[in-house]
Amino acid sequence: MSQFRAKKLDIGCFINIRNIRDHTKRKVFAANEPEVQALRYIVRNTTFPQRVRAQAQLQLSQMHCYTRFTQIKNRCIMGGRGRGILSDFRMGRYQFRINALAGNLPGVKKASW
Amino acid sequence: MAVPRSRVLDLMKRQCYVFRTTYNPERLRMGTRILRERLKGTAVAEYYPPRIGTIKQLRSLYPQYEIEDEKEEEWLEHMQIARSRGKQPPKKKRTAAESKRFTKKK
Repeated sequence: MSQFRAKKLDIGCFINIRNIRDHTKRKVFAANEPEVQALRYIVRNTTFPQRVRAQAQLQLSQMHCYTRFTQIKNRCIMGGRGRGILSDFRMGRYQFRINALAGNLPGVKKASW
Repeated sequence: MAVPRSRVLDLMKRQCYVFRTTYNPERLRMGTRILRERLKGTAVAEYYPPRIGTIKQLRSLYPQYEIEDEKEEEWLEHMQIARSRGKQPPKKKRTAAESKRFTKKK
């Protein structure tokens, strides 16, 4: 949804549309997180009247899908891959291997025994 | 010897006061778990590294220096050459009569 996208490119890693989209989703999620949490609290609190809780639930379900955390996916910052990401290094498995062997990742060493 | 329930509740109340939790002896579901959760939005949004070191940023940071944008200059030169060869974009039509000139059916 391009209405949320930054007008100017604001990420400095590998760029493709999926990475840009995921970044946009992350920003939208961060901006809406307090509201989502407040609504979730109202929904889960059984001491509130049933009507209020139902309204909160409706409101929560009508929020944009980009405000949900489940939309966010870790992607490789070096190659844009969506699968096989080592989340500590934010890289796909092959990019991780290449960078580790090249010595770009401090503290990472090839094991041998 | 069994401790009476009222004493236990008193203790719980104190405990809640000290540790700033919600006093809830009936164990109702009050959703406080959600309020206790930490907000992870900022950490999540910082996943991709920001874009830094662009020419525009450098110019605004160091206005005392003259910073060249090679790419832009190359582009401008290219445009200059194109213009000299008569390949510039057509002039903007200002009036309705001008813009209609080429749309007539032949």
